[in-house]
Amino acid sequence: MADDDGASSIPNSIPPHPSDSSLQKKHASVIERLANRNQTRLENSITRRSESGSSSSSTTSFLVRFSDSKRAIESDLAQCRLTPPEPSQVRSHLDGISASISDLEKLVAETSYFLPSYEVRASLKSISELKQSLEDLNSELLPKKKFSFKNKGTKKDTKSESKDLGLGNAGSMLTNKQQQASYIARDSPGIRDKDGEVLVKNFKGSDVGEFSLSGLSSCEVKLIGSIRALFIHKLRNCKVYTGPVMGSILIDDVEGCTFAMASHQIRIHNAKNSDFYLRVRSRPIIEDSSSVRFAPYCVSYEGIEEDLKDASLGEETGNWENVDDFRWLRAVQSPNWSILAEDERIDTVKISSTAG
Amino acid sequence: MGLLSIIRKIKRKEKEMRILMVGLDNSGKTTIVLKINGEDTSVISPTLGFNIKTIVYQKYTLNIWDVGGQKTIRSYWRNYFEQTDGLVWVVDSSDLRRLDDCKSELDNLLKEERLSGASLLILANKQDIKGALSPEEIAKVLNLEAMDKTRHWNIVGCSAFTGEGLLEGFDWLVQDIASRIYVLD
Repeated sequence: MADDDGASSIPNSIPPHPSDSSLQKKHASVIERLANRNQTRLENSITRRSESGSSSSSTTSFLVRFSDSKRAIESDLAQCRLTPPEPSQVRSHLDGISASISDLEKLVAETSYFLPSYEVRASLKSISELKQSLEDLNSELLPKKKFSFKNKGTKKDTKSESKDLGLGNAGSMLTNKQQQASYIARDSPGIRDKDGEVLVKNFKGSDVGEFSLSGLSSCEVKLIGSIRALFIHKLRNCKVYTGPVMGSILIDDVEGCTFAMASHQIRIHNAKNSDFYLRVRSRPIIEDSSSVRFAPYCVSYEGIEEDLKDASLGEETGNWENVDDFRWLRAVQSPNWSILAEDERIDTVKISSTAG
Repeated sequence: MGLLSIIRKIKRKEKEMRILMVGLDNSGKTTIVLKINGEDTSVISPTLGFNIKTIVYQKYTLNIWDVGGQKTIRSYWRNYFEQTDGLVWVVDSSDLRRLDDCKSELDNLLKEERLSGASLLILANKQDIKGALSPEEIAKVLNLEAMDKTRHWNIVGCSAFTGEGLLEGFDWLVQDIASRIYVLD
């Protein structure tokens, strides 16, 4: 193999006429130069490797940039406070500071995907502190100007008021009727306020949009067929098994329950001591919950495979265990949820469509 | 030469608009943004934090800030108020139980002075779901009529699932902001 690399050609370059001293000298200098080049190349590659090796280098450079701009803004603010600029220039000055704060915010936003969450929170906190001090300064320097500013706004708006009225017209026809009554009177389809019952609903062939389960205690609920959205609220010691939900499931305030459900999105709020057997296209989330456990979906009824496929839920995504806890935004595992051990999981729930 | 005219000058050059999307969790904010941008909407996880999308819309560049709506992170909304030109409030029209929450969160938002100049677009989302309230009903529940008369607002029914109504809403919003900031050129 021909190797053109200068360094490796050194052994071949032994001078053919060692007697020629000037040529020898020349050779020696060339070899020395090549050796030098090789050396610097090696050094370079080492430093390069060590740079890319430390993943924190980009974080560090962000932090340097961040603290530089932060310091600049702070000194601007301090400068403004000590020696306020000409009254006519106060606004443009403050506006400039506000713009640099929002640039800083943008920087955080752009780099947030690789920053450790602590840094993101810390930077957002310093940004809001900067904003606060800008606001303080603003009210300090421009108490009267603010008023005239508002005044200008209303002047301008007399012009647009007619437009506003025009836009609101459609709604104003309704204002004579009583407020709020409309949505309370309109009960959405669902099962409400039951105690100790077995409830089976078959949605096959019917066109159901959203469905609600609310105020149930010690009930077993089985839903066959697919629906668009499911709302679950205030359940105690219930078992809920459902077919696919094509939109999202929203769960709020449940305790001592078992759920087996499939959906595109699942949000769980205020859940305690409950088990969730899920198939979900995106990451399920929990908020204000504790002692909740997760396992894969385990429901079957006649034709469920087809229903799941139609709802794009035909395949297991593995997302049932990718739970995001909004009350635990840290890299370590949240103490609020866990994976349900395999030997504690329930068997596949078979729903017979004739039951109930 | 007030603050407003300076902002106008800067923005006119860039033709940029800053749009803030907020609303309760599960209202479909992220889905709307992705749908408008023509992206795949089949796998969307609840937003932990926020997303920024820059979309060229008509002759303007929209910087859309889509901020998560879970209760825990609603208190961070205020970090995004500064320099907002357009506010999009997204409502899950099929979630009847939480309409009260929806109203009180919106009321809080509209009290915010930093948002007082922003045009308000209310998207009554999920109109494709059977049983969803109509935009007129949503307007009544949210008591939009009682809103401050200086506010530019509009409510549009839409479905992020089918895409219906989204462009209508954003057309209005962009036009309204443009007529305020760029004084129609």
